[in-house]
Amino acid sequence: MSLAIFYLMAFLIVAAAVLMVTSRNIFHSALYLAAALFGVAGIFVLLNSYFLAGIQVLIYIGAVVVLTIFVINLTRKITGSEIPQFNKQIIPSFIVSLLGIILIVLVVLKTDWFHRIQGGSSAAVDNTAIIGRQFLTDFVIPFEIVSVLLLAALIGAIVLVARDRGDEK
Amino acid sequence: MITLGHYIVLSAILFGIGVFGILTRRNAIGILMSLELIFNAVNINMVAFSKFLTPEGVYGELFAIFIIAVAAAESVLGLAIILAIYRNKQTVNADEMNIMKY
Repeated sequence: MSLAIFYLMAFLIVAAAVLMVTSRNIFHSALYLAAALFGVAGIFVLLNSYFLAGIQVLIYIGAVVVLTIFVINLTRKITGSEIPQFNKQIIPSFIVSLLGIILIVLVVLKTDWFHRIQGGSSAAVDNTAIIGRQFLTDFVIPFEIVSVLLLAALIGAIVLVARDRGDEK
Repeated sequence: MITLGHYIVLSAILFGIGVFGILTRRNAIGILMSLELIFNAVNINMVAFSKFLTPEGVYGELFAIFIIAVAAAESVLGLAIILAIYRNKQTVNADEMNIMKY
């Protein structure tokens, strides 16, 4: 049963990702990206990390994709579908990425997993409380540093985008 | 029974698609979106390895949360830079941004 859900989610992710990188319209690309990220949230649910699935939907689909769509609309005039969206390296890039995938898949197939890992616990445990406790005990310094980083990114984005009063064109 | 190999192969395919997108897109926004695909591939790997190697620990998920936070910051800054370049150069195509080439 869970294997069927896994294949469904994997098909959703791969199909949406392929459509995303091959779509000629960048706005459609953003929507396909949202679909792919939603599939990744489903994979997180399959991996029993419900908190991460919620974070994924909230931050990626709710914030990053919406922000991307805003920027696409702000730069819309020259990103119409009639402009070629791909550069001339499409065949070498395809070969390189395909070889990368084949390399990783070969490594996975040739590794003897069963002697190295005991197998994941199939019991569905909600580890949200453990994550929260870890954040406030062992990982409190990285947690605070990330908050400072987000604040710096916020201020930096405002500084970059804000137009000076003096040089209005 | 879903094994660790399933997740790694899925994440490898997602990573390859993201690399393809980064290498072929002309639009800088498209490059940033492909970068998000790569971050998600890494996150799948993190959580899968965490579940299969240390079923009682949550370290992979903590790392995935940090990756998501850093990716959000990176995405905000990248889009702000693209918007600033668009305002000055009237283009968002990465192959036309060559003002640092001199």
